[in-house]
Amino acid sequence: MLLAENLLEELKTIIPQERIKEKDRKSDPLGNSGKITVLPVTEEEISAVLAYANEQGKKIVIEGGGTKRGFGGVEEEGDILLSMAEFKGVVEHTAGDMTLTVKAGTTFNELQDFLLDYEQQISLDPPLREQATIGGIVSANESGPKRLGYGSSRDAVIGLRMIYPDGTIIRAGGKVVKNVAGYDMNKLFIGAMGTLGVITEVTVKLRPIAKYESLILLSFEEQDLEKIRAFSKELLDSSIEPVVCELLNPSLSKKLIGEEQYTLAVSFEDVESSVHYQEEFVKKMKPDGAKLKLLSGMDAQDFWRIFSAIAPNGNEEESFEEAAVKIGAVNLTIVDIIKESRQLSSSFSVSAEAHGGLGHGISSVYLKGESKELLKAITHLRKTAESLGGYAIVKHLPLALRKEIEVWGKKPAYFFLLEGIKKKIDPKRTLNPKRYVGGL
Amino acid sequence: MAVKGIKTKDKHIHGLAKLVGGQRAILYHKEDLVAYDCDGFTIHKHLPRAVVFPKNTEEVAKCVKYCATHNLPFLARGAGTGLSGGAVPLHNEVIISLVRMKNLISVDLENRRAVVEPGFVNLKLTNSIADRGYYYAPDPSSQYCCTIGGNVAENAGGAHCLKYGVTTNHILGLEVVLPDGEIIELGQNGIPDAPGYDLLGLMTGSEGTLGIVTKITVRILKNPEAKKTVLAYFDNVTDGSQAVSDIISAGIVPAALEMMDKTAIEGVEAAAFPVGHPKDIAAVLLIEVDGIAVGIDEQITQILDVCTARNVREVRAAKNEEERARWWANRKTGFGAMGAISPDYLVQDGVIPRSRLPEVLERIEQISEETGLRIANIFHAGDGNLHPLVLFDARIPGQTEKAIEAGSACLQACADVGGTITGEHGVGIEKREEMRFVFKDEEIIAQTNIREVFNPGNLLNAGKLFPTPGRCGEVKKEMKEALLAQ
Ligand SMILES: Cc1cc2nc3c(=O)[nH]c(=O)nc-3n(C[C@H](O)[C@H](O)[C@H](O)COP(=O)(O)OP(=O)(O)OC[C@H]3O[C@@H](n4cnc5c(N)ncnc54)[C@H](O)[C@@H]3O)c2cc1C
Repeated sequence: MLLAENLLEELKTIIPQERIKEKDRKSDPLGNSGKITVLPVTEEEISAVLAYANEQGKKIVIEGGGTKRGFGGVEEEGDILLSMAEFKGVVEHTAGDMTLTVKAGTTFNELQDFLLDYEQQISLDPPLREQATIGGIVSANESGPKRLGYGSSRDAVIGLRMIYPDGTIIRAGGKVVKNVAGYDMNKLFIGAMGTLGVITEVTVKLRPIAKYESLILLSFEEQDLEKIRAFSKELLDSSIEPVVCELLNPSLSKKLIGEEQYTLAVSFEDVESSVHYQEEFVKKMKPDGAKLKLLSGMDAQDFWRIFSAIAPNGNEEESFEEAAVKIGAVNLTIVDIIKESRQLSSSFSVSAEAHGGLGHGISSVYLKGESKELLKAITHLRKTAESLGGYAIVKHLPLALRKEIEVWGKKPAYFFLLEGIKKKIDPKRTLNPKRYVGGL
Repeated sequence: MAVKGIKTKDKHIHGLAKLVGGQRAILYHKEDLVAYDCDGFTIHKHLPRAVVFPKNTEEVAKCVKYCATHNLPFLARGAGTGLSGGAVPLHNEVIISLVRMKNLISVDLENRRAVVEPGFVNLKLTNSIADRGYYYAPDPSSQYCCTIGGNVAENAGGAHCLKYGVTTNHILGLEVVLPDGEIIELGQNGIPDAPGYDLLGLMTGSEGTLGIVTKITVRILKNPEAKKTVLAYFDNVTDGSQAVSDIISAGIVPAALEMMDKTAIEGVEAAAFPVGHPKDIAAVLLIEVDGIAVGIDEQITQILDVCTARNVREVRAAKNEEERARWWANRKTGFGAMGAISPDYLVQDGVIPRSRLPEVLERIEQISEETGLRIANIFHAGDGNLHPLVLFDARIPGQTEKAIEAGSACLQACADVGGTITGEHGVGIEKREEMRFVFKDEEIIAQTNIREVFNPGNLLNAGKLFPTPGRCGEVKKEMKEALLAQ
């Protein structure tokens, strides 16, 4: 306890007392917590806390909205939990340039709500957008089903302001949409899980909100998986431009639309005439026996809002018994992954909701069940992904279980480069220790 | 030891020749080397020690290992169309040319990807898949001859990157030979988001200083159902610039939105692909919208309205594909066209926030007056990427220096309004010092630190991208400290 008290006293000398909180929870089943929480509101404060910790050999855990507490890491707590939750707000929005700079602790919904008045948006559909902060989203390189039409965090971000562990402020990229001056350092920090620096500001490029949108849900009988593959192939080979082509497994489909069937979600965003034309196109293509449901405008938006909340949320106790697995695979093999997710509950005592994008290759599987069963199911999924040439990473899992499984899978052959980068930037391993690939 | 047919005492030429299959795959005579003393940036010239032409990854790796072992500086070269001097052998490098590695390895339409060797020419990819309705989106104006390996190194852009993104948004996987000869694979099977720091993203745009790319998996796209192109003439540049902003503000995302000013028009009209632009107009906009056919007309109507509201002199849509193609040929050959009105020209590549276009163009006009050199502007107006073309005559003493000065001043003008010094052509040797317009010393060191991880001996393409530390005592000192702290 003495240690924590010392730490507290020392922190009080570098950051106002009202922005320091002692831990009020007894335990953190998801880990990634801290003995003391600091909630800075200025860059100087963040920089000072970092420099202090780095100097004193203290470990810092970085947190945005807390939704990803169960993502990576094998420690219950670091010395300091650096919460970015109050470091928020718009720094600069130039509507005519379609760029936006915001502080990292701003939640995704806050951003999109702000942009609504300008009929603009960040083209990104990350999970848990009500609580997830832009800093966390970027650090985890999040994306969603609309990745097919939108891309992922790495496509949206054009600039970052970072604080290195020694307190130095580094800018990567800039405020313009095209930029090849020097290395593309943005890429290094996007998806780095906060192991290289603290992101303080994010600059993104914006897109106009589509004038109209709709969503077609096509539900197929269990035995019709090959029909889905064939249909998707034909759809993606046609000249229509779906923003989403995402396959939901029957349990997820049941939860969202009440149909316990494999459901393909196909959505369109464009001027109204074009969206209707594409709806008709799909209706004509619809295979026999498939059920079609059309949601337009607000109804489609509502669907995606609910969809965004299906992932386990580190802020909720319910998530202490859940797991989330992200799988990367070759686009059309997503069908096999989603099929495998369906079979998980017959092989293990888990429930599994899953979706995957046939045009972008990323799937998510959400599991619920007993510890042992969760681990078995994850291992099985990983094997499946690897047999298809892909990978599986565990995006959410209680701490005790994370210690028993490699969250990030095997180290890549070029791990020495990753390690070399970490050593250059964070030689004392101050930031988010062991949170990333191979214990970085 | 000696290799048959090789006539030099330089033992390394023999050593390298052996690795690539003999004398036919290596150049070392001075008269052969002069063709490799620069790239598209012709102001700095240096002779390489030799040029080797490996035919596969293993040979590249062997050459690299040889250079690393014998401490020979080396660099990669594609088609040599780079505009910032990235492929110039400043230190008498051994050039590893990738032009023999020019195969299309595989196309997987179903999964929208293709695998190519680095020497494969950009446009050939689109040509190979066009009949099946697909294309490769990044379209630098040099696409008929530049290589995809060079595109990756420069993170090349093009007219259609406004809607579809630049090279980095289309790269799914890379095979790379590291500066010590080790071969690594990033983005296995072209699957996105591989766990670990995004080396794929870092490698793209690293101007051949982190490794040599030997295989590339790219994303390919389905052709849009329809395309429409509009040409609009303005009597003053400000109206033209405002029209650009208005189009974007109207919620339209054009596939391309290009602009040329009066001097540029004079050039393109005097060159190989004139289309009859009036000589007395101040600016022409070329606007293309693509997507679902039924939605396009609506957007074209909106664009016509916007232009009219901004006092356009004349605006019309292309009558047919033939006319559209002519307009594009006229635009895409714009740089070279300057040769028709000036003995020499220097291309610059600044980027600005779109809304600052009028004032920056005014500043460029001033720079032109100050230096007495004409400056033509051809640019990707939609994303604020300017290409001021400084016209000069290298035969007149002092003009080259003046042109460089004018170019640099244009970049300063871009940086001053919150922009950057290069949008697609790269820093190379040309804009090393200008890096200081946009980065602080610590930010430059942060980047050279990354280079050290990949390229610790700095044998691969040294002297590019970053300002010379010699110019700034502090940086030198810090770099030394950084090195010592290793
Ligand atoms: C008329 C003209 C128009 C142009 N228009 C555009 C345009 O619209 N947009 C645009 O972005 N650029 C444009 N460029 C610039 C140039 O074409 C691009 O930068 C192109 O990507 C260079 O490709 P290259 O094969 O010629 O590369 P090179 O010039 O041979 O090399 C460029 C750099 O890449 C490195 N390199 C090459 N191959 C590899 C490899 N396999 N692995 C690692 N490093 C490698 C080299 O060392 C060098 O640093 C234009 C150039 C010209 C001459």
